[in-house]
Amino acid sequence: MHRDLPTAATGLLPGWTARLELGYARHGERTIPVHRRHFGPLRVQKHFHPEPTGGVCHQILVHPPGGIAGGDILTFDIDLASGAHALLTSPGAAKWYRAHGRAASQTLQARLAEDAVLEWLPQETILFDGSDTTLTNHFELTGDARLIYSDVVCLGRPAANERFATGQWRQDSRIVRDGRLIWAEPVRLAGADPLLDSRIGLAGHSVVGTLLFAGPKLPAELTAACRELNADGLLAISQLPELWVARFLGDSAEAAHTAFRQLWRLIRPEAVGLDAVAPRIWNT
Amino acid sequence: MNTLALLQLFRLTSPALPIGAYSYSQGLESAIEHGWVHDTISAEVWLAEQLAGPLTRFELPLLGQALTAAAADDAAGLASANSLWLASREAAELYAETVQTGYSLRVLLLELPELSEAQRRTLTELEPLGLPVAWAMASRVLGIDAESALAGYLWAWLENQVMVLMKALPMGQLAGQKLFSALLPRLAAVVAMLPAGPESGFAPGLAWLSMQHETQYSRLFRS
Repeated sequence: MHRDLPTAATGLLPGWTARLELGYARHGERTIPVHRRHFGPLRVQKHFHPEPTGGVCHQILVHPPGGIAGGDILTFDIDLASGAHALLTSPGAAKWYRAHGRAASQTLQARLAEDAVLEWLPQETILFDGSDTTLTNHFELTGDARLIYSDVVCLGRPAANERFATGQWRQDSRIVRDGRLIWAEPVRLAGADPLLDSRIGLAGHSVVGTLLFAGPKLPAELTAACRELNADGLLAISQLPELWVARFLGDSAEAAHTAFRQLWRLIRPEAVGLDAVAPRIWNT
Repeated sequence: MNTLALLQLFRLTSPALPIGAYSYSQGLESAIEHGWVHDTISAEVWLAEQLAGPLTRFELPLLGQALTAAAADDAAGLASANSLWLASREAAELYAETVQTGYSLRVLLLELPELSEAQRRTLTELEPLGLPVAWAMASRVLGIDAESALAGYLWAWLENQVMVLMKALPMGQLAGQKLFSALLPRLAAVVAMLPAGPESGFAPGLAWLSMQHETQYSRLFRS
């Protein structure tokens, strides 16, 4: 795959626009993909049904370039029909490179019809120093639809001794159920923002993660069991009226995934009625 | 500001306002438990970071929008500010605090002779009602202008936090007054330079603290 040649005016590579539309529906006991359209470098691998109880459709979303440069615009548009259940993940971190004066963005829009279940469990997002990134995650749930959503963001690359010293991170995460806003997390953080070091912000850590479940309240004993988990970082959990939410603050994306996957294993039977079957790609 | 409006502002910001704010610490008791706040200097850092972070970037601009909506009797604008506020409460105690104090302020307003019929309808339609939007409605009902309502809201926050420090830390009244001296000019600066909209509520460390407080062994406060 090739980018176009640099434009004469800027000497910069033009940004890539990529769009992936996916639709899932339930046929009998199984959820299958019923719609797939892509434009630009976003792909989806062949789906599979690895769970012993059958129906859940696992699929891996791929962005072959691996990194996102200034000017790139990525869109995911996902539709789950009534009763469909999909688990979506990605093979590797999304790396957002130095912007060179041009912002990049990713928009995820997912619509879940009545009784649909979406498990959105991608690998981490790495925001390089100097990246200028806008991430939009909008979920629209109908009726009793349920959502498990994981989001791990790394600011800078501490392993390469790189802080998030310049650049911009904007994120707008929203969950709406039957037209009512039930979760809103607007983020705008500039490089070297005081909140990177402030204890009420990132407290000097470089990785922040959110795992949430939108659905019926989980039993208090289950949340208590989840709180017993040891994480390599700060981990805390709270049950809100319409959401169960876990927060991670630490210094490694792997530690965040380890914690969240253990939590996911604990809550999944209660949250979606199925034992956890980890996507194989998590073990590679 | 006329004298009556000024008196109404004193009334709204008085600790005697029956909304139970004194029973909440907004994460401060947890910050004390974790040793983040242990003396006047660390308390000032805590207050300054709250002010520069979520208060200036989210809560106050959201209150500003609610005040604009209240002044225009814009019920839809109030509802939208209220739902954004509630959906952004990311820990159970922070949610419960704003809903309980908002509820109590509404119960009070519904009994006051200053309330108009239209305001009564607007108030009862906001369910549940978070404190900032309840505060905007109270200011409208009591004839307090937007700038004073913002300043009063910040003052109520700061006074409450300093009261928490005096109860939960060994901190005397003079130290509390010195915190006011340090913080009040910054409060005034925030009101004068208010961002146009609530663009970032990002405070994951505060959310973590608040979630920790849910299982804290010994607690004086409900948040």
